[in-house]
Parts: sequence; C-alpha cells; structure tokens
Amino acid sequence: MARAASTRRKAATTLIAWTVGLLIFFPIFWTVLTSFKPEAQAIAMPPRLWNFDWTLENYTAVQERSNYFRHFWNSVIISVGSTLIGLIIAIPAAWSMAFVPGRGTRNILMWMLSTKMLPAVGVLVPIYLLARDTGLLDSRILLVGVLTMINLPIIVWMLYTYFREIPGEILEAARMDGATLRSEILYVLTPMAVPGIASTLLLNVILAWNEAFWTLNLTAARSAPLTAFIASYSSPEGLFYAKLSAASTMAIAPILILGWFSQKQLVRGLTFGAVK
Amino acid sequence: MGRIMLENVTKRFGDVEVIPPLDLDINDGEFVVFVGPSGCGKSTLLRLIAGLEDTSGGRILIDGKDATDLAPAKRGLAMVFQSYALYPHMSVRKNIAFPMRMAGIPQDEQNRRIEAAAKALNLTAYLDRRPGQLSGGQRQRVAIGRAIVREPSAFLFDEPLSNLDAALRVGMRLEISELHNRLKTTMVYVTHDQVEAMTMADKIVVLQAGRIEQVGSPMELYKAPKNLFVAGFIGSPKMNLLTGAVAAQHGAATIGVRPEHIHVSPTGGAWKGRVGVSEHLGSDTFFYVEDTGLAETITVRAGGDLELYHGDTVWLTPDPARIHRFDDQGLRIA
Amino acid sequence: MSTKASRTAARLMISPAVLLLLGWMIVPLAMTLYFSFLRYNLLMPGMESWAGFENYRYFFTDPAFWPAMRNTLVLVGGVLMITTIGGILVALLLDQPFWGQNIVRLLVLAPFFVMPTVSALVWKNMFMNPVNGIFAYLARVLGLQPYDFLTQAPLASIIGIVSWQWLPFASLILLTALQSLNSEQMEAAEMDGAGPLSRFWFITLPHLARAITVVILIQTIFLLSIFAEILVTTNGGPGTASTNLTFLVYMQSLLQFDVGLGSAGGVVAIILANIVAIFLMRMIGKNLDA
Repeated sequence: MARAASTRRKAATTLIAWTVGLLIFFPIFWTVLTSFKPEAQAIAMPPRLWNFDWTLENYTAVQERSNYFRHFWNSVIISVGSTLIGLIIAIPAAWSMAFVPGRGTRNILMWMLSTKMLPAVGVLVPIYLLARDTGLLDSRILLVGVLTMINLPIIVWMLYTYFREIPGEILEAARMDGATLRSEILYVLTPMAVPGIASTLLLNVILAWNEAFWTLNLTAARSAPLTAFIASYSSPEGLFYAKLSAASTMAIAPILILGWFSQKQLVRGLTFGAVK
Repeated sequence: MGRIMLENVTKRFGDVEVIPPLDLDINDGEFVVFVGPSGCGKSTLLRLIAGLEDTSGGRILIDGKDATDLAPAKRGLAMVFQSYALYPHMSVRKNIAFPMRMAGIPQDEQNRRIEAAAKALNLTAYLDRRPGQLSGGQRQRVAIGRAIVREPSAFLFDEPLSNLDAALRVGMRLEISELHNRLKTTMVYVTHDQVEAMTMADKIVVLQAGRIEQVGSPMELYKAPKNLFVAGFIGSPKMNLLTGAVAAQHGAATIGVRPEHIHVSPTGGAWKGRVGVSEHLGSDTFFYVEDTGLAETITVRAGGDLELYHGDTVWLTPDPARIHRFDDQGLRIA
Repeated sequence: MSTKASRTAARLMISPAVLLLLGWMIVPLAMTLYFSFLRYNLLMPGMESWAGFENYRYFFTDPAFWPAMRNTLVLVGGVLMITTIGGILVALLLDQPFWGQNIVRLLVLAPFFVMPTVSALVWKNMFMNPVNGIFAYLARVLGLQPYDFLTQAPLASIIGIVSWQWLPFASLILLTALQSLNSEQMEAAEMDGAGPLSRFWFITLPHLARAITVVILIQTIFLLSIFAEILVTTNGGPGTASTNLTFLVYMQSLLQFDVGLGSAGGVVAIILANIVAIFLMRMIGKNLDA
C-alpha cells in the first residue's frame, strides 16, 4: 500500500461497510436467532431480538416431526457422491486437456461448457419419463447421476485451469524417471494438485447441495434432499417460524461454513477461470 | 555405455519443419553441447533423444539399439530440466528415490544410492527438506542427484543453469564438469550460452534453424569456424566481420578478425581510428573503435593496463595469420 | 509437445467425460424435440400421435406465454441491474481499507450459500408476510399500512429475493477484479491530475468491464432458469403474474401432464438460452488464449 488512509476516513468506511455487511447478512442472522425461540415468541410483534426464552426444542421437534436427518443424509450422499464421481471422471479428462493439448482441446472445452448452458427445463420431460420408466424416480442414485452430469463441465473446467498451472516439465521428469501413466497421475500430478482438487470438490459440493431444480422435480418423500424437504414447509398449514428456522439453520450451516472456506476459489471456479 | 546415433532424424510440427534431416554421432563418455540461438531446435533435438517427442522421420540408436519408438523411461537416459522439475510435494530424499521406486529397486539399495549421491552433491543435510525450502543451486543439485541414482547410460541437460544467478552458474558449471570427469558417462547438454559450450564441451554442435552448422571441439570451432554464423556465434566479444574493400584485399567477400587478434597502439598501425566506448575490466580492456574508414565499428580486446579513453586516437593492426576469410556464400575459404 | 503414446492415452482418458456428456446432451434433447411434435399426454397413455407444429402453436398462443416471456425478461433484467450496480458499489466499498475487512467479506458473501428454497421461505414468511413479517412491523412502526408483497407485487418481490442471493456473487467477482487493478496505474492517473470520479470513470470502470460482462453472462444462465424461488413463494401467481418460462414449462408438463406442449416449451427455452450462451462462449473463449 502506497499510503495509509487517515484514521478518521478508515473509521467512517468501517462504519459504512459493517452496516452494509450486517444488513446483507441480517436474514441469515434472523433465521438462526428465530430457531432458538419458542414458537409463540417467534411470531411475536414487535420482533424479539433478545428478550425471548432460549430453547432447543425446535431442533428436536423438526427431527421428530419429519425425520430431518434422513433428508440431511440424502443431501450429503447426493452432493458428495455426485462430486466424487465427477472428479473421478474429470481428473483424467483434465489431465489430457492440460498436458496433451491438441487442436480439438479448445473445442471440447467450449462444448462441455455449452452443455452447462442447456436449460434444465428443456430436458426435464425426457429425464422425468426415463426416470419413471426405469423406476429410478425418487431415488438417490438418479440424483447422484443427474447432478454428476450437471456439474461435470464445471469440475473439468476448474481442474483444467488448476492443472494448467502445473509445469509440464515435472510430468515429463516423472516419465523420464520411469513412471507409468498411472503412477504419473497418482503419485505426481494428484498430490501436486491437491489444493486445486480440494477447492473443486468444495465448490461442487456447495453447488450440488443447493441445487433446487432437479432435486425438487425428481424426488418425493423417500430421497428428497434438504432443498426439497425445506420446500415442503411452504404449504400454509400453520405458521411454524421457529421450526422452519431450525430446519433452515441446519440446512445451510454446514454449507455456509464450507463456502466461507472456499471463497477464494469460488470466483475462479464460477467464472471458469475468466476472473482470478 | 552411452553411444547415441541420430540417423536422418527430422521433426515437423504440423507443416513446419523444425529439424530437417540430421545426422549426429555422440560417442560413449563424451560431453556434447548443443548450442545455438533460441528457437534453433536444440531443445527439440534433446527431447527427441529423450523420447519426450516423436521423431517425424529417421532413427535414433542408443548403444546400437533402435530406440526411435521406445518410451522415455525405457531408453536408460536421465534428464535434468531447465526448471529442475522437482516434485514439490516430496522431500529431497523422496525426489531422489522416485526413479528407483518406479524401477522397483529394493529399499536398502535405494538408501545406499541416495546416501552416496547426497554425499557427492553436498545434500546430506537437506535430505528431509522439501524443494521449496532449498536455494536455486541446491535444487539444481537435487535434480542432478535424481538423475545420477538411475545410473543412466547418458545424462541429458536442458539449459540447466539458465535459472541461476551469474555467480552460482560458474560454480555449477565446474561441478557438472567434475561430475563428468568422475562418472565418465555420456552427457548431452543444451545451452544458448557459448561460454558454457566452450568451457564444458568435448564436442560442440552449433545449431541454427534446426540445421547443424558445425560439429567440433571448442578449439576447432574457435580456430576454424566453418561459416559466418559459427564465426559470429563462438567467441566473446564477437569476431569483427568486415566486408568491402578490406575483404577484397584478402580475396574474400568477408573477413573476420577476433578482437583479441588485433594489436592496439597509441602511436601507429594499419588502421587509424578513435575510441568510442572503452570498457575497463581490469584484466582486459575492450575498445569500440570508430572512424577507421571501415564501415564497421571495430571491437578490440587489449591488456588491462592500456589507458585509452573516449575520443583518444588509436592505431589497430590485425594479426595477419589469424584473419578468417569467407566467400560470398558465407563459407570459410581455406 | 507430446508423443504418439501420450496422445493416445489422452484420447482414452478424455473419452469417458466426453461420451457421458454427449449422451446426457443428445439423448434428452432428441427426445424433447421428438415429443414436441407429438400429441402426448400422460393422462392418456397410448394415445400419442403426430402433431406437427400444433404444440408450438398452442404454446405461443397460450395466454400464459407472453406474460411468461415478459416475466422472464423482467426477472433477469431486474436482478442483473440490481446485482451489477449494487455489486460495483459493494466491491468499491470493500476495497477500501477498514477494520474487520475479512469478517465483512464473509457476511456479504453468506447469502450465496443459502439454498434457494430456504431463502425463498425465509423471505416469504419472516420478512414479507403481511401479518407476522418484519417489513409489516416496520411499516406499522412508521405508521404505514402493511404491504402484502407477494400478492401485490409478486414479481418485484421475487426479484428482491433473487437479488439478495446473487448480490454476493457479483460483489465478490468485482472485488476480485478490483484487487487486480495495478495500484501504480491509479497513482499515475493521480499524478496526471485525475480526480476520484474521473479515476473511477476512466480507469476503474474500464478495468472492471470484463468482470462485469462475466457477471452478467453467468448470472443470466442461472437466472433464466429460476424455479425454486417461484415454486415456494407464489407458485407462479397470482394468475400468471410471476410465472416465468421455466415455471410455465414445469406446469404444462409435470402438473398438466401435457408432454407434447411442455416439450415445445422446452425447445423454446433451449433456443433462448443458446442465444445467451453464444455471447458467453465468445467471451470465455477469448480468455482461453490469454
């Protein structure tokens, strides 16, 4: 930094920035706070910021009423499963494109990206019918498969941009040292790319966790992940603000924390390396 | 054993022929340096020998066996890369062990070779560090260590010193030369630096645009450059190349005189001129002499104690026995 | 830069990804296209027959079609405007030195990680509810009549909710771009006598141009297919007031079981998305070479 800003100016900026930050964050804060209120106080007017009786009853109630953890577990299996399968398919593909680029590489990359732009609703009907006819509707396998395909282009792209930063000479050195292709990828490339692979994994778990088109349309009670489970609270069968908040808090907390950790890679991943 | 023969080897990238048909013979135990300006194909040639690129034609023989289509690892060669290409996630020990691990050499044999290499290269204290914690020179030695333990039939070096600072470069140059004297293994070394070529090589291969301009010992190249390119490339400062009337006097299109073969006198000689820039190094002095009546500025190398400065009048006399003559094709006239 | 062996290996290793994606793309696409020319309703199985362009005619003349087109455009345009301008302002603010920068950045980023159904429900019930919502409370404190956001201004409310979700994305990307601005360039402009406003206009904004384009194009892809937020808050209503193209196709195919009509809508959505995609691909394609 060339100059230190004056303290007064810094104080003013601090005030404004914190105000903006807290305003943007407020709905999340309010949801978490409400989840600890007794149901009656959750809808009390004026809203209670501190003068309420802290309770954990909503959390136990959510689990008892709807078998919350089943849906939580569905979310984990679907998001992590689809990401891991995506990585297994994408690592070799990204290796090819990053280290043995040919004339077609660019086109393949662009084409992969273009599949991502296929609007989901355009293929909703056939996927739905295929799922119904194969008996996979409302199964976790189906969602793992669909989300793998949805996120595969992003995984390939992210890995590609990370792999490209690894000097090809190191892989050539491994080849000279007698490493087979398998050892080259397993012992040299993968360990070197661990930070990149980890952030790819994180970002894709986040995207899959929050995916709310396929999960809503292809699942029912059995395999519904949290996105679909929470949506069931929209039916106006009474106002359960506190329970809704408890369910929401549990649904977003793990991913919010993961997201905060991966914020640096987020930009790069979501812009396909166009902004670093 | 490490005899490498290239027969009619060519390389094309698409329609571009980077290496026209080329023959070369590298004898066992020889230190051969490929030298040339950037883009002359010297690195490509090395990578062809290593097997990191396919040849577009011709054959590569290693110890008499056809290795043209052999995978890099099967050729029994070890390579030291420009960026060292150390595995950043492995300790120095594991880096050096990697090729042996790939070859399935028993653990105690691995350890023995690692210890020996570390001792020879002064790396014993660093064996458990990661490459990121080492200096440039140390990384270089690790890369060499990784090459040595394979006991290859030949070492390939791809501009290994270009990432080091000037002082370290001189030191590493000596170490590599000593290594060669000790191991007596074939070494093929690529550089764009003619000083490295002159100081290290048994045999220099001067390349330009994928073609071999001349092959010979350093002194052969220095004393009898085959053509203008080699004449200008080998030697520092560069040979003075003069055309026109002076050249015609010697029955040539161009004549060349090395700066160290011109006698400087403040009192009298063949060509009278004025000192433009003078560089006093202490041991030597370089004068760039203008207004000699010749088209070119003449570079002269003189003793360190000759005190002439900008604007002084000097007389230059070339050593007639060491004038190189070239015809209008740029080829040496014997 | 490679040998025949490594090129063969490369082709082998890339093929699973390519084949899977190819299948994922071609099979359903072909089916959608085929269905769109069929008279095909799930309630009447076995009655499929060739329909020609009838489904398309029905789709374009459906009274919900033009409102859905308009809503899609307003939704995308509104969110883009709010998040881009808001994102630039937030990014400029967060780029200034202040205490607690890292924490504020996390606060601003947080909404991006909230799943769409949760954010829609939280806004719908705890903020926009005309009786128990915080906005209703604030209105009463100020002596105003509480406003029923989702009934009286459903589309605008959804735009608000979606903007809250996407503002963090725009802010973070623009902030990243701002931080890559060479500070020497700024200082040179200052030496040249440029004031803060002209520095923003002549240096900062052009520097951000590329990031802004990326933000707009990537958000457009996601915004064109907004679904969960509508499903959870208004169900497309009242009437068609908040139905977008995605939601319309969903209603026709999965609620009215009209596969043919839904497929025709799907094809239209694909064509629309492709127009956007072409621009995006050019952008990112250029970046590949850089």
